[in-house]
Amino acid sequence: MSLEEAQGYVVLATLAVPLLAAFALVLTPGREKMLVRYISAVTGAIVCGLSIYIFAAYQVGGDQVQMTLRWAWVENTAFLGENGITLYLAVDGISATMALLTGVVAFAGALAAWKLDFRNKDFYILYWTLLAGVFGTFFSYDLFFFFFFYELAVMPLYLLIGVWGSTRKEYGAAKLTLMLVGGSVLIWIGIFAVFHEANLGTFDMEKLWAAGSDGTLSPTFQKTFFPFMVIGCGVLAALWPFHTWSPDGHMSAPTAVSMVHAGVLMKLGAFGIIRLGIQLMPEGAEFWMPGLMVLGVIGAVYGATAALTQRDFKLISGYSSVSHMGYVLMGLATMNEIGITGAVLQMFSHGVMTALVFLMIGALYDQAHTRDLKDFGGIAKVMPLWVIFYAIAGLANVGLPGFSGFTAEFHIFVGTFQTYPVFGALAIFAAALAAAYMLRMFGTVFFGPFNPRWSDLKDLTPLERLSGGMLIASIVVMGVWWAPFTDRVGATVMLLPGVAS
Amino acid sequence: MGAEQAWLLAAIPAGVFFVLAIFGRALPRGGDYLGVAAIGTSFLLSFFVLGDLLSTEDKLGPITASIEWSTIGKFELRQGIWIDPITVTMFGVITTVALMVNVFSIGYMKGEPRYYWFFAVLQLFVASMLMLVMADNLLLVYISWELVGVCSFLLIGFYWEKRSATEAAKKAFITTRVGDVGLLIGIILLWKATGTFDIHGIIHAAEAGQIGQTYLFVSIMFVFLGCMGKSAQVPFHVWLPDAMEGPTPVSALIHAATMVVAGVYLTARLLPIFEVADGALLVVTIVGLTTALLTGFIALAQTDIKKVLAYSTVGQLGFMFVALGTGHPAIGMFHLATHAFFKALLFLGSGSVIHATHHNQEMEKLGGLWKKMPITGTTFFIGSLALAGVPPLAGFWSKDEIFVALNDKWGLWAVLILALAATMTAFYTTRLFIRTFMGKPMDKHVHDHTHESGYVMTGPLMFLAFLAVTAGFVVFHSVGKGLGLPGGITEFIFAEHHGPHEYEIDWGFAAASVVMATIGIFAAGWMYWGNSIERSTALAERNPGIYQMFKRKFYFDELYQAVIDRGVLGFSYVVSWFDRYVVNDTGVDGSAQITGFSGGVLKYLQTGRVPNYAMAIALGVVGLTVAGLVVRG
Repeated sequence: MSLEEAQGYVVLATLAVPLLAAFALVLTPGREKMLVRYISAVTGAIVCGLSIYIFAAYQVGGDQVQMTLRWAWVENTAFLGENGITLYLAVDGISATMALLTGVVAFAGALAAWKLDFRNKDFYILYWTLLAGVFGTFFSYDLFFFFFFYELAVMPLYLLIGVWGSTRKEYGAAKLTLMLVGGSVLIWIGIFAVFHEANLGTFDMEKLWAAGSDGTLSPTFQKTFFPFMVIGCGVLAALWPFHTWSPDGHMSAPTAVSMVHAGVLMKLGAFGIIRLGIQLMPEGAEFWMPGLMVLGVIGAVYGATAALTQRDFKLISGYSSVSHMGYVLMGLATMNEIGITGAVLQMFSHGVMTALVFLMIGALYDQAHTRDLKDFGGIAKVMPLWVIFYAIAGLANVGLPGFSGFTAEFHIFVGTFQTYPVFGALAIFAAALAAAYMLRMFGTVFFGPFNPRWSDLKDLTPLERLSGGMLIASIVVMGVWWAPFTDRVGATVMLLPGVAS
Repeated sequence: MGAEQAWLLAAIPAGVFFVLAIFGRALPRGGDYLGVAAIGTSFLLSFFVLGDLLSTEDKLGPITASIEWSTIGKFELRQGIWIDPITVTMFGVITTVALMVNVFSIGYMKGEPRYYWFFAVLQLFVASMLMLVMADNLLLVYISWELVGVCSFLLIGFYWEKRSATEAAKKAFITTRVGDVGLLIGIILLWKATGTFDIHGIIHAAEAGQIGQTYLFVSIMFVFLGCMGKSAQVPFHVWLPDAMEGPTPVSALIHAATMVVAGVYLTARLLPIFEVADGALLVVTIVGLTTALLTGFIALAQTDIKKVLAYSTVGQLGFMFVALGTGHPAIGMFHLATHAFFKALLFLGSGSVIHATHHNQEMEKLGGLWKKMPITGTTFFIGSLALAGVPPLAGFWSKDEIFVALNDKWGLWAVLILALAATMTAFYTTRLFIRTFMGKPMDKHVHDHTHESGYVMTGPLMFLAFLAVTAGFVVFHSVGKGLGLPGGITEFIFAEHHGPHEYEIDWGFAAASVVMATIGIFAAGWMYWGNSIERSTALAERNPGIYQMFKRKFYFDELYQAVIDRGVLGFSYVVSWFDRYVVNDTGVDGSAQITGFSGGVLKYLQTGRVPNYAMAIALGVVGLTVAGLVVRG
């Protein structure tokens, strides 16, 4: 077995391990709560290790598509021709980075849910199913499986939020699911339209991408169906004005779900825009990207502005996610190397940083049972470590150099200035607003006179420290030494169709 | 060590930051000695760097080193250092002041909670500043710039239990951050025109005329916004006086060597671009003049000793920008250096007073302290004279240089404005000194409990007083030569096309300077000497409007508060409302409700009774038949 083949199995294992874990949990008796936790923690560790391997072993400068695995599933029947539907998994620079993100956040989230007691077996079954879906989407090179895994990732959310959530959880869960399903419908229509128009009898994405670039998918077709794909995926990426599920969904979701959801799931949307928008319909992208740029800028400024006066921790993070995902969309819309690379970096950065934020919110909320900023004050006195962790996440959020947020935003700003200086300036201004809402929260909650009502709060548990520590490590590595990320992502982005240097 | 390893100057304190932040709590005395050792090492290393620079052919360097940092296609980022006379001057100023502040803090911060954390952040603060002045590219400048900002946030908010300290820290960070928006825009605009972040690459491109005039002007003005924010120039000056909420040694560091001089440094560094961009120097000059004048007025009416000093810093930074506005980096850097020494002295001196009087910093309660605190009093006296511009102290020489150059470049109108500001400086400095150290004690209780501070605090004062006296002499050719430099400061630092020039005293301006200082000093003496404060009170009562305007700092804070409350936060409420009620409740929930409503209505069609369905089928058949006939026929 060659290395390439072996690595293909590693990729397969990365999405199979969570599925197997979910299956193992089904067989575990629900009363064995500790066993459930151990299975999940071990799964998290394995998945995290595999994803680190994939990221590290990805060869910069080699073929862009590496670690491939093909298992034919259905072909040469009815409307399907050669390679009709294949389990075709592979990794490029973008998905290697996304896999690393998913691995780290999945492990951190699994640890964060350790203290969950209510039906934790069911929780983890859904949790690992969701993550298998996420990995599957990132690795799929077959449009059919891409969509299958995408749906597999989105569906468990409804139960995870509806059953284990808080604050208007049924409303939050229903709204989130319905809006995402609405997006999926658009994508599904787009996929069938592409399959029909290309008329190749295959869902192989590489063949379809070629069809998108060589004129098989006519410009008119691309211009018509590009919005289906981008709005469909955009809903999940909190594309303005389809973002309102984000604040409510985050407010309702339990800690680990918020972490995985904001940390990883929202990235699926942006990833979908790359795979189904930029790669599949370059003509459509060229036509529509200025529009996406406008929506991205609106999202960036609007989210930051709305976050300024929120009083609930999770709403601040919800709106700040809208703002940061706005940056991602802006980066993608630049259609140049630096901007799109920045967008992918921002996907990673926002993922680890938001996961850390939600981990911290959970650590406080579990004890305090309130998330209103005004209830707190001087928390640094009782939870110093919690404050430091949260502050690091917050400063990364603000785009402070030395943390991942800066690296990503800097590339996005540079990319945006290449074609849209005014929008770039607005985005930089939104980053200053981020400083305002973050420091306002710091000032109200961390500092100031201590409210004795909170004397009993405990600082972070060892598991929370481990979980948060991994996320901080990711934030700092990307913030200081970003070459491993830009090397991988940049090389792949350069070869995307229609991307300017 | 070669100068290529100058990055160690920043790396050592940065490393100590991590050690102290993580283990400081467990170390004896919070590891303060590690802080002193780290800065002390950087201080010594700066001499090696200077030595290396002076051993280059023309003693001017530059010595450079850089490594590749990341590459995306043609977008290559390099990080590196650039050692030239401006850098080593900054090294000297920063490490000297930082070392003094570190030593002083051992006495001043004794017994404070989070003692180790104070020393930890101090190291990072200094490290970031050192990195800033040696960076060879604007990206690294921006990175260090922001790190300096966050350290100032942490230090100003050191006493975070106090609401006012937290607010001040927030104000400092956000105000400078607004300027930084401009800086980053400017940096990226310059990159867009030249394809590089390398400072000297950009300067060469600008000088070679590769960038259009308007474009260059706009981008350098954006950069200058960042400099104005960091260096607290009007209208960004509001954060600096509030930054007094930090421990006093931090104020000394912020006001003298780190943070506020970053803007002056960057302007000096990019001065060739300002010169090429038509009108940019005039903007710099006007901003500097406005700041010097406005803050002079404000300082007249402040009674908190640290506030007076804070406004004097803002004013002196204005002087530095005026100096840079003449196109001579040397003069700006010269004033930066002399000011750093005497302002650090004054702040540490006021710290000594505050420490001795158990945190009293209101002039209304001080007075007559000289006998109680002879060393602090004497050194403070020297610092005040230097600030007032009395010859032959350091401040005199650098101010004098500014006047001469200003007259050459912009003419008499500018000189007159600045002269007024200089006179006011002399006035309020004298007032500060008299009301704190001379006369009868205003508050007997405070006075009785005062005692001179220990040597760990007075030692740095004496050293800085020595520099406040002597630092100005470096302007002379022979003194510079004696120190191993190519000559005086203006022969060491200079803009390429101006070339070095040897300092010659202009007796006319020197005399005028002395007259201004004398007027200020005597006017203050007449008003305040021997507790004759009635005179100033009477003056204030006769002109309540003007007095209030000065006292309330021209209402800048009130104006900004209104803009933030009504404008920014108001807009945020509007956006939140729009998001909740229009986008969400109407757009999203509304469509859900329409679906629900139509489902509710349509469900009545589904009655489950066969006769109803049969009826519907029959009607349908009839309807379709009729329709078919109509269409055909």
